[in-house]
Amino acid sequence: MQAFSFSSGPLEPGRYREALEDRSAGGFASFEGWVRDHNEGRTVQRLEYEAFEALALKEGERIVAEAVARFGVTHAACVHRVGPLAIGELAVWVGVSSAHRGEAFAACRYIIDEVKHRVPIWKKEHYTDGDSGWVNCERCAAAAHDHDGGHVHTHSTGDFAGADHEHDVPPAQDYSRQIALPEVGTAGQAKLAAASVLVVGAGGLGVPVLQYLAAAGVGRLGIVDGDVIEASNLHRQPLYGVADVGRPKATVAAARLHALNRDVRIEVHETRATAGNIDALVKNYDLVVECTDNFRAKFLVNDAVVRALKPAVFASVHQYEGQVQLYRPLPHWPCLRCLWPEAPRDGLVGNCAVAGVLGPVPATLGAMQAMQALKRLLGLDAGEAPALVTVDLLTLETRRLVARRNPDCDHDNPAATAATPATEPLELGFETLADAFESGLELVDIRETWERAHDPPGLQIPAHLPLSALVNGYLEFPVEGRYLIICAHGVRSRSLTEYLRARGQAEVYSLRGGLAALRS
Amino acid sequence: MNRIEVQYFAVLRERAGVSRETVETTAATAADLYDELAGRHDFGLPRAMLRVAVNDEFTDWSHALAAGDRVVFIPPVAGG
Repeated sequence: MQAFSFSSGPLEPGRYREALEDRSAGGFASFEGWVRDHNEGRTVQRLEYEAFEALALKEGERIVAEAVARFGVTHAACVHRVGPLAIGELAVWVGVSSAHRGEAFAACRYIIDEVKHRVPIWKKEHYTDGDSGWVNCERCAAAAHDHDGGHVHTHSTGDFAGADHEHDVPPAQDYSRQIALPEVGTAGQAKLAAASVLVVGAGGLGVPVLQYLAAAGVGRLGIVDGDVIEASNLHRQPLYGVADVGRPKATVAAARLHALNRDVRIEVHETRATAGNIDALVKNYDLVVECTDNFRAKFLVNDAVVRALKPAVFASVHQYEGQVQLYRPLPHWPCLRCLWPEAPRDGLVGNCAVAGVLGPVPATLGAMQAMQALKRLLGLDAGEAPALVTVDLLTLETRRLVARRNPDCDHDNPAATAATPATEPLELGFETLADAFESGLELVDIRETWERAHDPPGLQIPAHLPLSALVNGYLEFPVEGRYLIICAHGVRSRSLTEYLRARGQAEVYSLRGGLAALRS
Repeated sequence: MNRIEVQYFAVLRERAGVSRETVETTAATAADLYDELAGRHDFGLPRAMLRVAVNDEFTDWSHALAAGDRVVFIPPVAGG
């Protein structure tokens, strides 16, 4: 059968399917587009399709040929209906036979997406109220946006401004343009969907990193940022708008990224990276992208990824220049401390606030970080030797400076990079509960509910996380914050504190002797 | 005298007023060259804080220079 054809009579899927049968094919996937009874809130009675056939046939054939070549399938075909159609009728049919199912599904998806996007077919809907209109052709819709005329679309102005039309069900994400790369393919896309990335800092570098990783379909993204949006940020962080000033960066970024790609699970950590939380954060992700603007955080992240054996992408900018460095937990790879054994002090060499910066500089470096992260997740960086890449956007020069492991840097030695000094006490003693409240630590009662029932008045600790619920996983101990953990005699609280310290939480303490040791 | 091509980054570029220059020098090592240029441009950054790369590879300050070498001085950068 023809790769792409039009039919003015009812489509015959059974007949088309037979034409694609092949002894070498192990599977068959098809898609059918049906005429539905409503569109954008209006009841549809019937519709008509009209095509610019000469052009449409050529473009349709090209799309099917592309699908066969890109996905290596056995046969593929598409038939599109023209003329008047009733509700429930078949409007378009796509079928693909292939050795394996993955390619069959992918090619089928590719064909229908491309046909809807590229083939000049117009649809006229007739509504029950007697009205009618040419609608829903993606080419027309795109043209209407370009020229700001023709169709009227309502745009919301809230959190999801830019999310565009009100769809009953949001359209599926389309990764065809990256799947088309032979090195990516459907297998690569699946790797991205299964991957998780922690982005520390949602500023000038973090914004493009988050946007491109979300758009690429990385399955889970964590955002660590404790700052609020400032008006002076917007020139280099255009994910945010002027109406967002004063709102928390991580939360606003999460809303925007959700509007961009609903496939991605976004986890908001509205906090600064600290010695107390960084290990717990890092351990939950496959890769870390470091996008802060200060040395303290950069070295904190460096030490945490070194401890957790996770890859990380570092970058920083200064005026018109920037540097990018990939860290991999391999014996010969240098870490940030290998390069800069003397951790510099903040303020010594300037940051964006004092030195100034043009927006596209962090945007370029952030895009490079996103690219390095995708390469690592897809395994496209196998031949890449450790290096610091410098970029000068005034001269448009990049330089790849080969870096080596510094033999004096003992970053493999956990004691050398431990987040918590060994001297930090595990237990704290207080005379009274009032003293404990005044310590500045948040008090957490981990006794069981029945134990609290017998508390005398004045001994109420508002935060209650029963140890049994923590152990069984019904509750999670928060990763951020400074806590004094309390039980009846200080035994359970001490073991929980030991556990939390081991997972990297530095600022947790156990009440020595428990409630029994307090003077009432 | 060796003719060396020198490139500066970040604060060093600002202090030097150029991103690159070609210098005629008797400096035997990368350290000697930095000290010489730091005096000329008033860099004010101690050598211990910087890294030097010769011919696109990070190297030690004791690296012996040869005519035609490309030397890059890189301070740590924190902005983001």
